[in-house]
Amino acid sequence: MLISSDRFGDLEVAEERVLMFPDGLLGFPDARRFAMVDSHDTGMYFWLQSVDDPALAFLSVVPWAFFPDYTVELPDAEEKALGIRSEEDVLVLCLLTVQRDRGLITANLLGPLVVNTVDRVGRQVVLAESGYPVRAPLAA
Amino acid sequence: MLVLTRRANQSIVIGHDVVVTVLEVRGDQVRLGIKAPREVTVHREEVYAEIQRENRQAAIGPEVAFDMDLPLPTPRPPAKPSS
Repeated sequence: MLISSDRFGDLEVAEERVLMFPDGLLGFPDARRFAMVDSHDTGMYFWLQSVDDPALAFLSVVPWAFFPDYTVELPDAEEKALGIRSEEDVLVLCLLTVQRDRGLITANLLGPLVVNTVDRVGRQVVLAESGYPVRAPLAA
Repeated sequence: MLVLTRRANQSIVIGHDVVVTVLEVRGDQVRLGIKAPREVTVHREEVYAEIQRENRQAAIGPEVAFDMDLPLPTPRPPAKPSS
């Protein structure tokens, strides 16, 4: 499908790369559809371009590349809402915040995006009891 | 907003299956017990607010001049997926 974006211009994105977030993201309840766009050809960084708002995009990372011990204990409610049937069908992405002035990139480990890759449905999950920070610096 | 007055050991029922009980009141602190079905998530509001704030920071909106060639760190291999 063709998606218009402020950053990338018109994007041709395969349907299977479009993720549905029925509840949006926290603070962005209307941002329900995102196209996954590879960034930097690493297979770890993905742009999430809003399908419905050309101006809105997030940069995200597969967390285990940087945080090998990171653990997502999915609450029952979330697992059910996502309709997850097998662990292999789960993709986890953490949103990145870029603090240009400080040259710092941080990952939100407290509220990861958990995606059921079979149904391509995702939710931002709150790992309230985990103690993980919203700003964990990415260390090379 | 609905405002109800409750004392310790009194409860309110939300819908058919969520029960919030005041367990203890001490000074300006209130301990609450929450009984809800497993599919209902219950969190402190602060945690939500914190993630909302961070999402807004993370959003690359029109007002953000973002360097598309921003160098991103490369992790040390092996990058093992696990969960």
